[in-house]
Amino acid sequence: MRKQLNKEVAVFKSRMNRKRALIADTFCLTKRRRCAADSVTGESQDIRSSLQYLVTLFSRKLFNDSLPPVVLKHQLYSLHNDKTSVDKQVNELRETGELLMFQLGFDSEAFALVFAEDYRAKVLQGEAGRGTLGTVEKFLTKLIPSCSDLSFNKEKMLKEFLFTDSEITQLVKSGVLTVRDAGSWWLSIPNSGKFIKYFIKGRKAVLGMVKKSKYGEILQTELEGRRTTSQVKFQMKYHIHDIIGAELVECIQTTSGTLLRYVDGNVN
Amino acid sequence: MLLFCLILINMTYPSMTFARVCSNIYFLNDLCRHALLPLQMFFAIERQSGLDDPVRLRRAESTRRVLSLELNHNRDVDRIHGNGINTLDIEVIDGRYMLSGGSDGVIVIYDLENNSKKPQYTCKAICTVGRSSRHVHKFSVETVQWYPHDTGMFVSSSFDKTMKVWDTETLKPAEEFQFDGNVYCHHMSPVARKHSLVAVGTKDPKVQLCDLKSGSRIHILQGHRGEILSVRWSPRYDHILATASTDSRVHIWDVRRASGSLFTLDQHNGDKSKTSSEAVNTAHNGRVNGLCFTADGLHLLTTGTDDRMRLWNSATGENTLVNYGKVVNESRKGLKFTVSRGCSPEFVFVPCGSSVAVYGLHSGELITMLRGHYNNVDCCEFHPDYQELYSGGKDCNILAWVPVLRQPDIEDEETNSKRGGTQAAINPAFEDAWSSDED
Repeated sequence: MRKQLNKEVAVFKSRMNRKRALIADTFCLTKRRRCAADSVTGESQDIRSSLQYLVTLFSRKLFNDSLPPVVLKHQLYSLHNDKTSVDKQVNELRETGELLMFQLGFDSEAFALVFAEDYRAKVLQGEAGRGTLGTVEKFLTKLIPSCSDLSFNKEKMLKEFLFTDSEITQLVKSGVLTVRDAGSWWLSIPNSGKFIKYFIKGRKAVLGMVKKSKYGEILQTELEGRRTTSQVKFQMKYHIHDIIGAELVECIQTTSGTLLRYVDGNVN
Repeated sequence: MLLFCLILINMTYPSMTFARVCSNIYFLNDLCRHALLPLQMFFAIERQSGLDDPVRLRRAESTRRVLSLELNHNRDVDRIHGNGINTLDIEVIDGRYMLSGGSDGVIVIYDLENNSKKPQYTCKAICTVGRSSRHVHKFSVETVQWYPHDTGMFVSSSFDKTMKVWDTETLKPAEEFQFDGNVYCHHMSPVARKHSLVAVGTKDPKVQLCDLKSGSRIHILQGHRGEILSVRWSPRYDHILATASTDSRVHIWDVRRASGSLFTLDQHNGDKSKTSSEAVNTAHNGRVNGLCFTADGLHLLTTGTDDRMRLWNSATGENTLVNYGKVVNESRKGLKFTVSRGCSPEFVFVPCGSSVAVYGLHSGELITMLRGHYNNVDCCEFHPDYQELYSGGKDCNILAWVPVLRQPDIEDEETNSKRGGTQAAINPAFEDAWSSDED
């Protein structure tokens, strides 16, 4: 009986094929709902794997292996559609102590993400043999599993973390803290100055490449294949994820792939 | 058709009760695809049989209509303004008349209703306060608003430092308020019955409250440090007012209180560690130039020149952290944007450069960009009854974005082509089915 029913349905289908095209717009709404439902369940795994993918794009050799792999938060926006859920999941990972977020300083909206174990390993590696090692270790143990702040003020350092003034000076010297203003400090990555310098130069150069192309637009595959100038020290893909995520270029889907168009009015 | 569905369902899943079948929406979707019936038909069936709340069908249809907004060559708005259009307002009572204010100081009233029986319709301008009128504003009109309770009166405010209360019948100002600086915006509470206060935002950091009943300025709200670019009353409570200013702050006031504001909106939700210490307690990293409450008054949207739009919980002032991405905003004055009403995920319509961006309210995703203007778009207004969007901009055009009509069924199409193929089917509501041939 089920077989007979299936046959009837098949016949019905073939007759109503034209109708399918006409009512496609109603299905848009339900298809959208379905896609949303699918993507929500699959996403929580994807953020971590996207982060790991972006980490592979980071060039370690450039900094002589002294920096942990740094990923920018807006690079994740280029891989996932829903920015709000990306933010939410990044915050969840920060709460559990897996991920650390830093304010980089050149843009109030640009945040750097580093895996906590990488950060800890590199910092201790950099501190090995120095007198400040003990203080830094103490700071890291206080910081990593429990605290997810971006900056600290004096009160917190003295009362909550029980550091003395001289210890705070040692932390600033070692690069783990940078001065924000009188009595407060940003959490930072040691030796990250070079990273920021190369990053800004590289971003400007890649954006310039897009801008100078004919009509101010270029296919993403073509841009990836271009030879990098001496200004661009990172991998091309790293910069491309950055400019797409920060919405410095507009992403347009075409039949030949994704087109990146320069957006006018950029300060950078 | 209905019988066929019932039989189909009963035969495939004899164990499931009809009620349980209809309540499982994803199951219905599969069934629809097999039987190729539109999902909306199932909404209609459920509503008809009483299984579902009538509101659900209405919301689903409203949402479908908003998702299919586009420019329609059948709908036009009269072009009267010689200079850019700064503000639009549709009256709440009938949704029939629309006010527009332009950079040339001209105010125009349009009739939006289509009484001709043809689908091709131009919204005519019924009356204008033009440059020849004695009482016209000297400089650009920044905000116009209908009196919330009837269309006998409307209020306009302008860069000539005045706010005028007009009588619609005679088009003469019944009252005029003078201010010291350019008036950027004003707003009357849409729900107030006990008071008739107009909140005015000017170049002065003090928010002024003017009373329409007595004609005097009765109250001043102090707290901002920069020009007030936008003021908005809550559609839920008649005493709650939100104001946005160039000092990057948004204050929420209770006008019954004598002391300062209730709270300020903080983009970091009190997490002082995220930003430099000067930017503490700010709603945006630049000037805040747009405010809009959602229809239920529970959420507040703000836009700022830092190219961000934020959604706030209006009761607690908490940033809901919905990320809309980069919402391009270069406006030096207030930006007028709007939220849909009556749809199931609500939508925000924001003018972005020369197009209008449509975002999902709570998801933050960009649904579509409505392109059609030739120059910057300054204002947009949503018509809740017909799910239409009107937008006005510097190119002196008001564009009407109309939902795409549902395609006629196959059977109707065939009969139409038999008749000789009319280019556009007449809406059955306008078809003359009652007059006899003898008359």
